[in-house]
Amino acid sequence: MSHASHPPTEHGSHGDDHAHADHGVGKYIAVFVALCFLTACSFFTYSRFWPFHQTPEVAWVFMTAVSCTKAMLVILFFMHVKYEANWKYVLTIPASIMAIFLTLALVPDIGARVNGLFGFGGKYSEERQEHTADFNDQVLMLDTSKEIGEHGEDGESHANH
Amino acid sequence: MNETLTHDPSHADAGHGHPPKLVYQPALPIPNGKLFMWLFLSTEIMFFAALIGVYIVIRFGAQVWPATHQVHISEPIGAFNTFVLICSSVSIVLSLEAAKSHKSQVARLWLAVTLALGGVFLGVKAYEYGAKFAHGMYPWYPRSRIFERPDIYFGSAVRTRAAELRSQLDAPNSPLLASLKNDEELQTQLVEMKQTPQYARLLKALEEESKEPVVSPGEQDAPKAEEKEADAAGEKAAVNDPDAEFKADLRVWLEMTFLRPAANDAEHDIDERGLARLAAEIFPLPAPGVESHAEGLNDRLHWLKMPIVIPGGNMWASTYFLMTGFHALHVLVGLITFAIMLGMMPFTAAKAGVIENVGLYWHFVDLVWIFLFPLLYLF
Repeated sequence: MSHASHPPTEHGSHGDDHAHADHGVGKYIAVFVALCFLTACSFFTYSRFWPFHQTPEVAWVFMTAVSCTKAMLVILFFMHVKYEANWKYVLTIPASIMAIFLTLALVPDIGARVNGLFGFGGKYSEERQEHTADFNDQVLMLDTSKEIGEHGEDGESHANH
Repeated sequence: MNETLTHDPSHADAGHGHPPKLVYQPALPIPNGKLFMWLFLSTEIMFFAALIGVYIVIRFGAQVWPATHQVHISEPIGAFNTFVLICSSVSIVLSLEAAKSHKSQVARLWLAVTLALGGVFLGVKAYEYGAKFAHGMYPWYPRSRIFERPDIYFGSAVRTRAAELRSQLDAPNSPLLASLKNDEELQTQLVEMKQTPQYARLLKALEEESKEPVVSPGEQDAPKAEEKEADAAGEKAAVNDPDAEFKADLRVWLEMTFLRPAANDAEHDIDERGLARLAAEIFPLPAPGVESHAEGLNDRLHWLKMPIVIPGGNMWASTYFLMTGFHALHVLVGLITFAIMLGMMPFTAAKAGVIENVGLYWHFVDLVWIFLFPLLYLF
């Protein structure tokens, strides 16, 4: 096991490992600070100072970008993938491709069932439609909730989740 | 497999001073344990990608999806849990570094910190789950209390629950009745009710109804045998029942608040808007963007447990609990592994490989949460 923890790598020398150990803690703290900062960035979209509340798509794109950055930091530094030899591609790339195709494969059926996609799909069975909430239900519920909130004396909300 | 051959014995006495140095190269230049962990993680990538992918496809393909505060999700709590997991990721790499540098006590300490942080994460998650369960949001059979739309099915469920409460109140020595007498909120509701013009009329109507046992529309779905027994017992006790007045008031309140508004029949002529209003009284939906949760009858009277209407709420519950549940399960497995390591393993440099492999798993768990947090709490 002892020599197994120092496998021959592309870079070859054992000196690399010691170099990482020496600068490891500082590097990890830097990554930690970056991760905290990026989490705060995601959380910022929830705050009242976020300027794009009217167009949630902006927040979605922003948060996806932030999440991917965070994921890369964790994978590269905490999981040491940055310092691994080329075998890392053998395991990660096929899995990632499968994951992406799996998601895409769901789009024509499940994703397009309600709203349709390029003119295809977009049809629930009558029975299903009868039991499924639609946009009008949402509007009606929000409307009546607002009504009660305005007129009811106990209509104030509270932060008990 | 990882043996390094320094020389080939067949060439040992060939007379050459420098035999060729042959190096055995394994298929992948990593220890077996690490190879196994990465293979396992690559299947895990696909597993969670499927869950997250399904969520994205369902959520953006849905006609309506509840806003976070409509399903009582708290963003600050989610952000706190994200922070906890990031800290635990740092602590486990520090444990690995310490083990590599032969500081076994430090390595042990950092792993204990990781275990504690993972415990905090699960504790917070359990608190969040508890809050959802308390509001009747859960994904399993018989069913959660979530209805998709304020339709007759919802109305019927409200009537069933009201009838259930009524029969519980009529039962001899009802524990519910005992707890309700001290419910201040209910007292307020009853006082308000007595000021309405319908009160006296309804009280009289219900008194007459109890004399001739006719099943009202609201009781069609209730267990009838139990109710008859309860009625019989109630009649006997009614002569000197000190709670008779309170019980009668409660019956009128249930009738007025739930049974009549929910009776979507020709006699009462309540339309969809009336049912929506009833649903909003029980469980109001805050407008998207509102920073807190609205409080309804279900919140103010915890024993009520009435069905609620959240458009898109059932699919939300299924996906939310499936994804966070599988993630929490992975956290739990990690914690069990940490506990076993802390109990049984010497934290020497030779065992650094084990810490590295467990660390890889733990970072992956963190990685999944990095995507779940914005998707579930902020999107």
